[in-house]
Amino acid sequence: MIRNIVGDVYQIGEYVEGSYGYEAVLVYVIMNEQHPILIDCGSQLHRTGIMQEINSLLAGRTPEYIFLTHSELPHAGNLQQVAKQWPNIKVIVSNVMLPYIEIAPILPLSQITSEAAGKTINVGGRTLKFVFATLKDQPGSQWVFDAQTGVLFTGDGFGYYQSAEQIGKFSDEVEGGIREIQFRDYHRTAFHFLRWVLPEKFNPDLDAIFAQLPVKIIAPIHGDAIRGDIPTHVARLKQAVANIRNAV
Amino acid sequence: MNTIVFGEGLERVAVRPITPDIFWITHCLGDKAQDIYKNYFSMLPNAADYSGHRIVDYPFSAFLIRDEKSLMIDTGAPRQQANTLKAVEYVLGDKSLDYIWISHVELPHAGNAPALKRRYPQAQYMTVRGGEQYALHGLEGAQLMAPGEVIDLGKHQLESVEPLFVDHGLSQWAYERTTGFTFTADWAHNLHEPAKNECFMFLDEMETAGYSAALHCDDVKVNAWYQFPWLKWTDPDEVCTAIDAFFARYDTKILAPSHGNIIRGDMARYVPLIKEGMRQAIAM
Repeated sequence: MIRNIVGDVYQIGEYVEGSYGYEAVLVYVIMNEQHPILIDCGSQLHRTGIMQEINSLLAGRTPEYIFLTHSELPHAGNLQQVAKQWPNIKVIVSNVMLPYIEIAPILPLSQITSEAAGKTINVGGRTLKFVFATLKDQPGSQWVFDAQTGVLFTGDGFGYYQSAEQIGKFSDEVEGGIREIQFRDYHRTAFHFLRWVLPEKFNPDLDAIFAQLPVKIIAPIHGDAIRGDIPTHVARLKQAVANIRNAV
Repeated sequence: MNTIVFGEGLERVAVRPITPDIFWITHCLGDKAQDIYKNYFSMLPNAADYSGHRIVDYPFSAFLIRDEKSLMIDTGAPRQQANTLKAVEYVLGDKSLDYIWISHVELPHAGNAPALKRRYPQAQYMTVRGGEQYALHGLEGAQLMAPGEVIDLGKHQLESVEPLFVDHGLSQWAYERTTGFTFTADWAHNLHEPAKNECFMFLDEMETAGYSAALHCDDVKVNAWYQFPWLKWTDPDEVCTAIDAFFARYDTKILAPSHGNIIRGDMARYVPLIKEGMRQAIAM
């Protein structure tokens, strides 16, 4: 399912069913004129559909970069196919990641570059800023912010389960937006460490990101994009973190 | 059997017995570590304190229990796939591999599961209850375990353990009841120096050669800081109480983390040191 989120940013991907509802497994595409950028590349289970949708969107253009929020297979499982079709694509990962062992030996290591949180890069005139991920399910997880559109790509952070009726709908197309319980159910399993986390210590670090960046849209891999009303959704996420801790 | 090494550099894998039937199958870089880890300490908040510090290496380990039924704890990463399979075949000979037990689904831990399954098609994937989408991670058909559940291998009984400190949502540790072998995945590991020939050593062997308790404590701290960035949001007293409760419950004779040298006994000496390392990591 291809959907335009804002400007030249699109989401594509699939949804898998579980006991909590559906879990999105998304790929984001920043068209960026002649310098397209992929954010993650989806699961190998969805290879055919994902590659068809990427190709449909790109319409013959060659992606210049792929940013991997982290290296788990639902995020990097199609890297082999991406590299096969676009062998010169450059892969960007967090500088905490060890590409030689955390990424399947698909591309030459010289095509994989590491960027630290806080750094910005320019891709064909587009500024991307790498952001410390407050919610990491791997030490090498990282978020990235697109200054042009105000989209913050958050990997597994801000993920949520959704009902069949919600599939493919942005938060502003769902009455009331994404509820706290949706965040809570997802984060409890994706971030098992949250049982240790004291909200009074965690919340200021999360708030600092949104104080420093003019985030207009949150784009998780496991949930359709959260468009608008960012303060409400950040507050719900914080409440979910507190509720996970309080349930211990 | 002494340490047997297959391959070299980015692909090398060694196998060494810890007990007669529990084997350490591990990758580390040796001479190549200086290329990958020369800046290992550079991201620390107090990086300047480590200027001119030692060049360290970082293992990625799996463990193979050979018994009436054989079980592999984790699988190593795809980069070392061919040599990992050689190591497993070397240990098992004509015996089968019956279980591929996965602590969590990151590639350095589970990335060779499909290759092992192809080599040993009868092997059953075993991983942790709570996840529903293991097919996305290449573990289609996995049998799910809850903490406390046990796999009977014959002489060995492997218990799934609720982990304390995880870098991945769905994770499990393991305790082997006959030998007191405790597997803690990404937690409580030291670093070693190839230049001092510490690759594939047990920790007591490193200590005999000069590795100090102070260095061990600092390594636990540094690794925990990298591995668990969320520690800064925790209560150190709560963390240390949980560590004490864990070792009170699991009578550990062998401590086997994924990314460190193996501790053989004397846990009364090591647990306080590990706790102090965790306290310091939280305070960083």
